[in-house]
Amino acid sequence: MFEVPEDRKYLESHEYATTDGETATVGISDFAQDELGDVVFVELPAEGDEMTRGEEFGVVESIKAVSDLYAPVSGTVVDVNEELFDRPELVNEDPYGEGWMLEVEVSDADEFDELLSPEEYRDQTE
Amino acid sequence: MDYDQARYSRDDQYEPLLAEKNATRVEIDEEDSPLPDELTRDAVELPDLSEPELARHYTRLSQMNWGVESGPYPLGSCTMKYNPSFTEDVAADPNAAVHPDRSARSVQGSLELLYDLQDYLARIGGMDAVTLQPPAGAAGEFAGILVAKAYHEANGNDRSEVVIPASAHGTNFASAAMAGYDVVELPSDEDGRVDVDALEAALSEDTAALMLTNPNTVGLFERDIVDIAEMVHDVGGLLYYDGANLNALLGRGRPGDMGFDIMHYNVHKTFATPHGGGGPGAGPVGVVEELAPYLPSPRVRERGGNYELFDPEESIGKVHGYQGNWLVLVKAYAYIARLGDEGLADSSAKAVLNANYLASQLDYEVPYEPFHHEFAATAGDRDAADVAKRMLDYGVHPPTTKWPEFVPEAMLTEPTEVENRDSLDDLAHAFNAAMADSDEELANAPSKTTARRIDQVSAAREPRLSWRALDADGE
Amino acid sequence: MTRGSPYAPHTDAETAAMLDAVGADDEESLFDIPEDVRFDGEFGIEARGERELRTELSDTFARNRRLTEFLGRGHHGHYVPSLVDDISRRSEFLTSYTQYQPEITQGFLQVLFEYQSMLVELTGLPVANCSMYDAATALAEAARLSNRVRRVSGTRVLVPETLHAGKRSVLDNYVSGTALTVETYPMDDGNVDVDALAERVDQNTSMVYAENPTVRGAIEERLSEIGDIADDANTLFCLGTDIVALGLLEEPASVGADVVVGEADALGMPTSYGMGLGLFATREEFLRQVPGRLVGAGEDAGGRRAYTLTLQTREQHIRKERATSNICTNQAWVALRTAMHVASLGPDGLVDLAKRCVTDAESLAAELSDLNGVQAPVHDRHHFREFVAHTDQPAEAIASDLEKEGFAVHVVGEHELQVCVTDLNASKTDELVAAFEEVL
Repeated sequence: MFEVPEDRKYLESHEYATTDGETATVGISDFAQDELGDVVFVELPAEGDEMTRGEEFGVVESIKAVSDLYAPVSGTVVDVNEELFDRPELVNEDPYGEGWMLEVEVSDADEFDELLSPEEYRDQTE
Repeated sequence: MDYDQARYSRDDQYEPLLAEKNATRVEIDEEDSPLPDELTRDAVELPDLSEPELARHYTRLSQMNWGVESGPYPLGSCTMKYNPSFTEDVAADPNAAVHPDRSARSVQGSLELLYDLQDYLARIGGMDAVTLQPPAGAAGEFAGILVAKAYHEANGNDRSEVVIPASAHGTNFASAAMAGYDVVELPSDEDGRVDVDALEAALSEDTAALMLTNPNTVGLFERDIVDIAEMVHDVGGLLYYDGANLNALLGRGRPGDMGFDIMHYNVHKTFATPHGGGGPGAGPVGVVEELAPYLPSPRVRERGGNYELFDPEESIGKVHGYQGNWLVLVKAYAYIARLGDEGLADSSAKAVLNANYLASQLDYEVPYEPFHHEFAATAGDRDAADVAKRMLDYGVHPPTTKWPEFVPEAMLTEPTEVENRDSLDDLAHAFNAAMADSDEELANAPSKTTARRIDQVSAAREPRLSWRALDADGE
Repeated sequence: MTRGSPYAPHTDAETAAMLDAVGADDEESLFDIPEDVRFDGEFGIEARGERELRTELSDTFARNRRLTEFLGRGHHGHYVPSLVDDISRRSEFLTSYTQYQPEITQGFLQVLFEYQSMLVELTGLPVANCSMYDAATALAEAARLSNRVRRVSGTRVLVPETLHAGKRSVLDNYVSGTALTVETYPMDDGNVDVDALAERVDQNTSMVYAENPTVRGAIEERLSEIGDIADDANTLFCLGTDIVALGLLEEPASVGADVVVGEADALGMPTSYGMGLGLFATREEFLRQVPGRLVGAGEDAGGRRAYTLTLQTREQHIRKERATSNICTNQAWVALRTAMHVASLGPDGLVDLAKRCVTDAESLAAELSDLNGVQAPVHDRHHFREFVAHTDQPAEAIASDLEKEGFAVHVVGEHELQVCVTDLNASKTDELVAAFEEVL
């Protein structure tokens, strides 16, 4: 069983966004990191970049696969987890904690309604 | 067979790098340089070793490597046959070592060989015209797809899609994309072949070509090939044959007779030119008459007993700076001529027999039948990559693993015709013994090869791609 | 009794026993090929014995005229030490496959790692792949790389007006599926016309390509300025060169090259009708955009340094249509030979060979210039290996007459010949000059 925390919502392509603050923390799910295997490289946008819901914002790479990352919400990047550039393994070890990717100032809170709930996401991955 | 690979080691490494043995930095001073200082570099730092030291270094490295002459090398879709020694001697002829800008009249011998090889390949594939220029299979695919594109454009017919089965070689997708096409991926049906209904749905006026490997990547012949060709042609598309598996068909079926319009030949597979640790190969392309004007330039033709180079009238231009991998083409010619009709046909017969015999000796499920020169066994609930590592300890090279992806834990196996029964039995033993070993034995394998299991993850996380990078890293 | 393949070892008894084991009556029944596409004709290729073929092909190649070649323009022959032929033919190298099982192929992986390392030393750039097909495809791949990297937004690829026709055609084909367009810039007395280039480079330029030495043999004098022009426009600077020139001419990294491409088989291979070895090196920044295979150092379970193919997610077998390139089979064995040749020369040997490429070309040009009706070199530049000579008489006729005297040179203009001298033909320059005198 993969962990699907309740304090966030999900995209079908396995990205999450937290819903408990003015900014959203964005990363990939436990299921996604397991599917990818050992993550060796993460490419993320810079602070201040804009992202649009559903569009690519970066890349995560393991030794056997490469996945594009899609934005679960639109907004401005206010913080980037630069630790991942040196320690991409954090995405595997702690996807919802130390393996977070971006902090985004959400431009349209209504977009959260279009994301999968933890329950819906859990159903999708089972 | 018991086996231990050579292993030269010292402390925390195997054979030291050339630069670790001795390197010298040579300054380039203006006084003894023919050029002004601003046009030269400051210095050159390179390994600095005597010939005896180099001979020993490279001999040791060769001993820490595996080739077809070391033992079975049953990589699926790679056709690791024995590479006849005499072809090397033929290619080493000093008279064959000519510059590509020589006048045609002064290299009649080379042109004659190229002309004859064009002809041989056309006959073998059932094609009307052949170019020898593409330097590898993937380059052949790219050239072939560009020919298709030029043909459609000449007919005022801009098409945007190339249809490719999901199980195809990765190069097919990449080559089509490089030529600017969108790739439409075709699922396989239950028996591993093209799903004709899915194909029907995928084909349209936008279809430039369908790329197929036949037999496909699990060794199955596309029995509906005539219908498939008709469907593709009905929408105005072209049918492309990936020659990777031609070793299954020699003398039994020709792509041209099946309705294929374009094909490439992997001469380093079917025609036994050595793989050289990854290359060079050659990927000649054959086409039907209607497409001949679009082939890369130049080609070779014969006029009144003389051979000459010419540019096909609507040529796509070039895919290689000169004429491709000349020495490889010489070896391919020599191989084909050595075997002749009957030898070529016998190669396929024995390749198919060997695959069938080997499969019959394995304690593995082979889900897709009837296969030809290769088969996909499944490792079931074991990890195919781990089983392969364990096979290394039994003195054989393992098959291709985890590909094609639609076969769970695939072990794609192609023994080729060059193994005799004893050797196939050794191979079967390695398969079966590895499968019977414990998870722990698999996880700890290999132990008899030069290196133990290599950590791919850390190598990719911190890429160190030169001895300079190792230095910087304090090694 | 049919004659089978001499490389299929089965005895009749063995074949029968194997057929029995698989439950088949005969070999033909193993083929699942529908009747309507079954081939029952003949190729009409007659099998020959090994000795017969050696004679036949030796006779065929003897129909090539033995000419002393003073030819270059991108394909160069140098003397290859016997060690290279001898050891590169060891079957463990020659008959091995791509190193997908690194534990059993450490030897070849180390050779390729050493090849990459030599290119890193010579180019000054930190990443070199383990081969492209040739210089033309390496250049074309560089253009495609420029189209992928995020910090470059342009679509124009600028190349010299003198670019070798083969390279130009390959480049056009490789960019035909992208938004890139190829345009030329002018040359000025054999070097890049830097002012004209500066006018042409803009923010919509994806890559600027220059060569050192140029295809006409001249050494570029203002490379750093070209690097600056490219840099100012946020455009990639791709420098074309060759493995010997790297031993003496300006280090590519020091003049701002972002990608270095070129021919590496000037060392390691005889003239081989244009068979190549494309060298490709670039900056760390573009590591994940590099085409082709890369060998990296890692560690094995015993704690020892070991080598492995790495960053394979860039490649077609994993990334399919989104791969950085379609290349799979490359020129690995040629890279092995080239690395061995570089190692045989060592730093002194490489630098000396490169210096001779300058001095031999300059002295031959001077000798030819002493003849009536020849002025060489036509460009007032330093030259490397080769130069262009102006001839008062039509060049085509002179070349044709020289061929009758046993020499091959390039015709590059109505009144222009190009002559290339290396350690292979340097001892024959007096004879060449004499032949010129004869035919002029």
